[in-house]
Formats: sequence, C-alpha cells, structure tokens
Amino acid sequence: MNGAQHILEAFHRHNISTVFGYPGGCIMPLYDALVDDVGVEHVLCRHEQACALAADGYARASGKLGVCIATSGPGATNLITGVANAHRDSIPMLVITGQVPSGLIGTDAFQETDVLGMTLGIVKHSYLVDDADTLPAIMEEAIALAQSGRPGPVWIDIPKDLLLSQVAEAPLPQPEFREPACPDLTDALTMLRSARKPLLYSGGGISLAHAEDRFRAFAETSALPAVVTLKGIGNPGKHNPYNLGMLGMHGSRAANRAVDECDLLLVIGARLDDRATGKLDGFAPNAKTIHIDADAAEFNKLRPADLAIRGDLNAILAELTGALTSKPLAIRNWQQQCRTWHTTGGFQAADNEEALAPITGPAFIRQLSRIAPDDTIVACDVGQHQMWVAQHYEFDHPRHHLTSGGLGTMGFGLPAAIGAQFADRSRMVINVTGDGSFMMNAQELATIRRYNLPVKLIVLDNQCLGMVRQQQELFYNNRESHINLDDNPDFVAMARAFDIPALHIERTDQIRRGIETIIAYNGPMLLHVAISRQDNVWPIVKPGASNREMIDETRRISTANKEQVA
Amino acid sequence: MTPQAEIPTPSYTLNCRMSQEAAALERLCQVVRIRGFRIARMAVETAGEHLDIALTLEGTRPIAMLKSQLEKLHTVAEVALGSPAVARSRSA
Repeated sequence: MNGAQHILEAFHRHNISTVFGYPGGCIMPLYDALVDDVGVEHVLCRHEQACALAADGYARASGKLGVCIATSGPGATNLITGVANAHRDSIPMLVITGQVPSGLIGTDAFQETDVLGMTLGIVKHSYLVDDADTLPAIMEEAIALAQSGRPGPVWIDIPKDLLLSQVAEAPLPQPEFREPACPDLTDALTMLRSARKPLLYSGGGISLAHAEDRFRAFAETSALPAVVTLKGIGNPGKHNPYNLGMLGMHGSRAANRAVDECDLLLVIGARLDDRATGKLDGFAPNAKTIHIDADAAEFNKLRPADLAIRGDLNAILAELTGALTSKPLAIRNWQQQCRTWHTTGGFQAADNEEALAPITGPAFIRQLSRIAPDDTIVACDVGQHQMWVAQHYEFDHPRHHLTSGGLGTMGFGLPAAIGAQFADRSRMVINVTGDGSFMMNAQELATIRRYNLPVKLIVLDNQCLGMVRQQQELFYNNRESHINLDDNPDFVAMARAFDIPALHIERTDQIRRGIETIIAYNGPMLLHVAISRQDNVWPIVKPGASNREMIDETRRISTANKEQVA
Repeated sequence: MTPQAEIPTPSYTLNCRMSQEAAALERLCQVVRIRGFRIARMAVETAGEHLDIALTLEGTRPIAMLKSQLEKLHTVAEVALGSPAVARSRSA
C-alpha cells in the first residue's frame, strides 16, 4: 500500500465518507487511488476555497470531521481562507495537500509554496511529512486532534514522492487526548444561588462539545434568562421563554439590557468576542463572571473571571442541571423583568401590509422563517443579510444556522450550503446571501448542478456592499467609498446559465409565493430578491463603543457621526 | 517642552520544552508575536527528541495569557515562567 492508498484506508477506518477537493499535479497520486475507491465520495468543487468552506459547512451541519484536499502551490493557497474560517470558529477539519517531491522542496520548484510556514497561524496543528512510514501515525493523530478538546483544522502537507512510496505496515497508534474530568462545581452553584440577577451567556462552544441537549435541559431547569452569541443562535431553543436572543453589536435591546443589568454572568462555551461585548469597560459592569469552557486559554483573556472552570461541557451541564433540579433558583422578579424587556425590546420588524411596497430584509426573513420546514439548515454569507437572519429567523437548534462568525468570510454561504446538503441529502438547505457575497463563490453553482443538490439560493440584492455602506453612512459622514454594485449581472439569467431555475421578486405581495415556490421545487432554485439600497441593520453599536450605546433608526445619523469610528 | 516619561516595558523569562518537528521554532515564535510579545533573547538546545528553548520576552500584555496559548500547541510539552527579568524602558 502506498501513501495515497493509506490515506484512503484511514478515511474508511474513521468513517470519512465525503471529502471535498480539487486535483492537481502533486496530489495526483491520491486522485489516482480514488479511481479504485468506491467508498469515499469525492466532491469536485470549482475552486479550492470552496472545497474548504464546503468541508466546513459539512462539519458544522453534521458534527463530523470535514475533509478537504488540494494540490501544492495555488491549490494550497486557495484553501487558506476556508481553513482560516474553520480555525476561527473551531470547526473540526482535516486538510490534505500535495507538496512538490521531497528533493525539490526549497528549490522554488513549479507550484511550490511553503505551506507549513504560511499556515501556522490558521491551524490547530500541521505536519509536513518527511518519511512515508510516519504517515499512518500522522493520519491517526491528525484525525483525533482535529476533533478533540477545542476542535480545529489540522493540515497534512505530503510530498508527491511520499504519496507514491510504499508505507511499512505497523500497528497503528491510538492517540488519546484526555478530556479533563468534571471539576468541583460547589463554588459555581454558590455564586448562582447568591445572585439576584444571573444571566446565561452561551456561544458556539455548546455545539462544538455536542452538548446542545444538555444545555437545553440546563436552561430549562435553571430558567435563567439567556443571551447567545452569533454562533450560539439556536440555543437554548426558540420556545424557551427566557431566551432573549443575540447580544452585541447587532443584538437586541433586550439582550444587551439584560447584560448591562445582570449581577452574575454565567458564560458557557463563549470567548467574549468584541462583536458580542462591545467596549469591555462597559460590558456587564455590575456582574461577577463564571466562565466555563473547554479551552483554558480563553479564561481572563478579555475579561477577568471570578471563577473559571475548564472541563467537558456535557459533564458540567449535567451536574449543574442535577443540582438545580433539586433546589431551583429563586429569581422570579429578574425573570419577569427580562421577559418584559424581551417583549418591548426584542427584534421587531413590521410585516408591511402594502402589497406593492418594496421588500425589506427583516420582513422577508421573518416570512422565510415561518414558511421553511422546522429543521431547515440556513447557510448565510456575511453582511447585512447575515445579521437579518441572526435577528429574525427563529432557529431551534444551532446546527441549523451556519454562519461565518470569527473570520466573517464573504463567500462562505454557498459552499457551506453544499457541504450541509452532502451531510444530509434529505434536509432542506437554504443559502441566504447578498449580492456582494454571492459573487465571491458563484462558480459553485456548477457544483450544485453537477450533483443535482436541491439547495435553495436566496440572493438579497441591494446593489451594494450594504454593511459597509451602512457604516459609511453612520460613522463616516455618509461618504460612500467603493460600495456600489449596481452593475451586478442578471442573477436570474446567471442561475439559468448553470441550468438552475430562478425567480425574481421585488414587492411585498410576492414574498410568500416566491418562498413557497423555491421550497416546493424538487431541485436547486434561486430566488432573486430586490431590496432597497438604503435599508440598514438595526440596532447597531458603533465599533469600539459600549453596547449601552446602541443606535436605532430613530437616533441614526444625528448621533452616530458625532465622532469618527476608531 | 516636558520630556516624555519613560514607561518600562515588562520583561519575562520563559522556558519551553517542545517536540522536534518541522517548523517547531517558527510555530513558537509565531504565537509569541501574534500574542503581543517581542523576543529579546532566545537560546535553543537539543535534548533528545525535544527542544529546550529559553526565551526573554518583552510585552505589555499579561504573560499568563501567552503561557496558556503556548501550552495549547500540540507539540509543546511544558512551559515554565522564570523569575522576572530586568525591565527595559521605552519612550511613551
């Protein structure tokens, strides 16, 4: 068995059945081995960046390892944005690239790049294989490492000659990454019971730990008012009466108010990102903090924790739930206060009753949320539409909401939707995108067509880079700079060129029919939705400002432009 | 004109043991840099399959944050903070 064949054998052993890749010179031995392998489905994307983002979407939707493959040089460099995206959101991913033959490394050979060197900052770990006999151990370790503790991408760069070399048979190592045992939670429970206004603050770490069910049980048992980060959306479920939704820069007034007023912040699986906290000095100023996470490096990184607890979230949540089941928290007044805030300061958008009125993003997303099946996966891109989805789509599970949180990668949505559809062929998968983001990976329409994936594509088209335009309007005295996209192609014609049917809508009375049509269609379909160029995402916190200083539509330009953004 | 105050930049010594592997030192240095520290001195010795690295670092961020980031590196076996080194000064 040569190196390439061994890689496929490792895929089988670890039940890796779907990989996303693009062939080229130095990875050809692996592609040659794929010819004889019927157990691994290789998805040919049309750009290596899309391979990585599709693997990312596959991993987010399924909870499994995402795998992407590319050749050396430009193949590897094209992967980088997608791998960085996975790194910033701690997505388990295995990246395999071919490298120029061992003897040519360092000679500026054709399609040679120092992949190991240039990717150090965007991987959990990486390997440059220098001996074919080490490949089996590296594969085992990489696959385990990518999924252990705080997950992340692990990259294996393999010279072409080693892919062709025979690999010595030897017993495979069984790498183990021991998770910490459940720590003593006595102090945490004491702090919880002492608090009058405790608030649950959760993020993407819940899903990364596969702890969604435990978290939901804990939230229900504790009846703690809860806020979530962008990546935590879907937790603790849309029916939880104390779920205040997303906090932060585009969070709800209710969520940010609760953070502002709470006296204890119970942070679970979140890293206190600046888009969530705003200016740290003004964040939860009256609260003690309990920080629970799988990664000790997150403790005290941005905000000092009064109590930091590292451990397996499933075990911790189970123990906390058990303790609160026998003796519930007495926080009725606080719960009632938060519910009142949620009623008056939750995300709101009026459904425009005027049939001929132009479509607004929030109203469209609300209708989509009502019409789409409950277990629909929505893969967003980055920009205003992403925030409208986060604010107005009612998710009931975090794996239903795929969004590029840490890196904010325009072009994520379409390949991520492809990955999600491969993770579950029977599921409704919708890519909600903007006209800017859509054009960043539009070539993947060809992948949708090739595999006849029933992905639904919704392009909210405001003919500009809306989020940049909004910030230029609010924080740069309305000095628009290079955001105009009014020369966009005809997206309906473009979809049809890929043999994907498409519709155009632009009036409120067309929303329902448009959504129902694409959902009912048995195959991929694109819905082009014309929206106003001037629509903004409300509320907004100026970058660098405190969340207390939220700006909404009534306070817009008069206050926003008073000082230049940092 | 009032002369600018001299603000001492905190300085630390840090000892690290990590596996010998391709790009081991680059990986270490990359984390040190991105987490806000400058390497003032670096000594490396081979110890079997390991590298022992002694660093003198300067930076204004908490050194504990860097230590915890270095401990996350897969090939880092041990990180130990030494006694504080002599502080250097720089202009504000």
